[in-house]
Amino acid sequence: MVSQEIEIAGLNKSFGQGAAAFQALRDIDLTIASGEFFTLLGPSGCGKTTLLRIIAGFEQPSAGTLRINGRDVTGLGPNKRPVNTVFQSYALFPHMSLADNIGFGLKMQGKPRAEIRATVAEMLQLVRMEAMADRRPSEISGGQQQRVALARALAPRPRVLLLDEPLSALDLKLRKEMQSELKRLQSETGITFVFVTHDQEEALTMSDRIAVMSAGHILQLGAPQEIYNTPVNRFVADFIGDTNFLKLRVKAVEGGAAVLELPGGKTAQASLPEGMAPTTGALVTAVIRPEQAEAAAPGTGDLQATVESATFFGTDTHLHLTLADAQGFVLRRQNRPGQPAPAPQSRLGLALAPGALRVLKD
Amino acid sequence: MRGHGWKWLLCTPALIVLLLAASGPLLIVAVYSFLSPGNMGGVVWEFSTEGWFRVFFRRDIFEPDLVEWNAAHLQVFWRSIWLSLQTTFICAVLGFPTAWFIATRPPHTRTIWLFLITIPFWTNLLIRTFAIQEMIRNNGTINTVLMQLGLIDSPIQMMFTEFAVLLGMAYVFLPLMVLPLYAAMEKMDFRLVEAGYDLYASRLNVLWHVILPQVKPGFIAGSILVFIPAIGAYVTPRLLGGGRTMMLGNLIALQFGQGRNWPLGAALAMLMLVVVVGALILYLRVVGGNDEARRG
Repeated sequence: MVSQEIEIAGLNKSFGQGAAAFQALRDIDLTIASGEFFTLLGPSGCGKTTLLRIIAGFEQPSAGTLRINGRDVTGLGPNKRPVNTVFQSYALFPHMSLADNIGFGLKMQGKPRAEIRATVAEMLQLVRMEAMADRRPSEISGGQQQRVALARALAPRPRVLLLDEPLSALDLKLRKEMQSELKRLQSETGITFVFVTHDQEEALTMSDRIAVMSAGHILQLGAPQEIYNTPVNRFVADFIGDTNFLKLRVKAVEGGAAVLELPGGKTAQASLPEGMAPTTGALVTAVIRPEQAEAAAPGTGDLQATVESATFFGTDTHLHLTLADAQGFVLRRQNRPGQPAPAPQSRLGLALAPGALRVLKD
Repeated sequence: MRGHGWKWLLCTPALIVLLLAASGPLLIVAVYSFLSPGNMGGVVWEFSTEGWFRVFFRRDIFEPDLVEWNAAHLQVFWRSIWLSLQTTFICAVLGFPTAWFIATRPPHTRTIWLFLITIPFWTNLLIRTFAIQEMIRNNGTINTVLMQLGLIDSPIQMMFTEFAVLLGMAYVFLPLMVLPLYAAMEKMDFRLVEAGYDLYASRLNVLWHVILPQVKPGFIAGSILVFIPAIGAYVTPRLLGGGRTMMLGNLIALQFGQGRNWPLGAALAMLMLVVVVGALILYLRVVGGNDEARRG
């Protein structure tokens, strides 16, 4: 039985008053399960950080309630909630040693000295920083500060750990390392993680569930596969991964699918979102991921295309193509030895994977 | 880098001014303290330690060999130090919330508040001190209002008390505490405050464990800026304290004036310098040294 760790109902938040008021969050309803790795994903200004700060207690909602572990904490200060935060800037206390930083929460909770010392040692070991206990935050690298910030937030054993874009200041290699480190820490501690990021790849690889946010709304809530494979609208499809958007004409509608007319005259089946029933002849937006089509010999496949350019990405190559009706199409092709990139202006066919084409609400 | 060694030339004008206006006169005062007093003031070029001797001791008028501690001088010394410490403390207690208020305003309004803080500097110190006199003298504003309200029957004696001197000095030196405190707070990372709250600290604990260590440099700078001019204050104790609450500055001025004992005045001035420098070193050791020492 999975219990609910965080329950948010009817949450609204606006800043400022009157004409200058800005509504950062609109009618947020959300439950996060205990032990879940939950990600709030969206572009900057979408409200994800505001939501995180409300859960932490740094901001109070304008309306709505927030429960943590069944207890209504709306209106309580951050020091009265079983929640700790890893700040984007780490916010380590510069005048304290790393050990004192990590022990601060326990000290403020009035824990006995021996217990604090034991927990600090345990936390230093957990983040592999045992040798540096007496250093100052200014004497260690950014990646190490990140680990200490994690240890400091985990030391009081919070029910929920909030992470505000904690990896954004790290370089790529270190970021990858910390991603797996975070996953390890989460499974070892069993604490509920609420992670804020604008990096869709980070969200996909780490999360149990993702909430995609835009303009104060949660647009889609679901597992990474669900969000990637069946985005609910154009914004989500565009924000998560790369997507080809095609304007296509409806030839027929059969049950939950539409038959679309492809450039070049062939047709393809595309699934329709729930509650959408386009009329025959209407123009709709269909999406297909770049890796869900395959190159074929010219004249074969569902579509004919001309190569404009090729971009090499190491594991794969992105081919920028133009279709018969001048619409653009990006094809991702995995690189194999002895397979040269096609020359610009060469022609090729495209075979769409069955079920890959989907009609989207705009 | 080429020409790097010549950068110090940029500060030579300031060095020349310092040399002429501070070091030169200081040297003269140091020399004067070891000369004999002239009858009509000034000095006679004759080596003597009498000036330094008189700082601490007094001779009986009729029997010069009868020596006793100069209690009056020691009292003035003690009063100067004690009043300056109290002034520093009052300025710190009043200045902290003021600086905090300003530092937490939106950036564009902070300038206005800082501007307001500096307004007292626009008026001459003498005028401002007379204004305080007008407020606190026996038939001044405060006493008149209190008596007309029927709260008191006879005026409260505020003029010519240590209270008056403290009031005047705290007023004069408050901006010197607020400005460095503000500068330290402005540099402070307010997310540290959030981190403190997040880690279960109460308001008081955040103040004590997070904010105060961050603004400590501001406190140190402010305390120095207040304490040093306070210990040598002249106008405020003269006008508000009168003869009974004389401070070091007044005692020194007295020796160069009516006292006609320049070597004694010079010795007192030198001693004050020693006291201030000593206090400064002690203070920095105790308050400021912790970080550096721990950092090794």
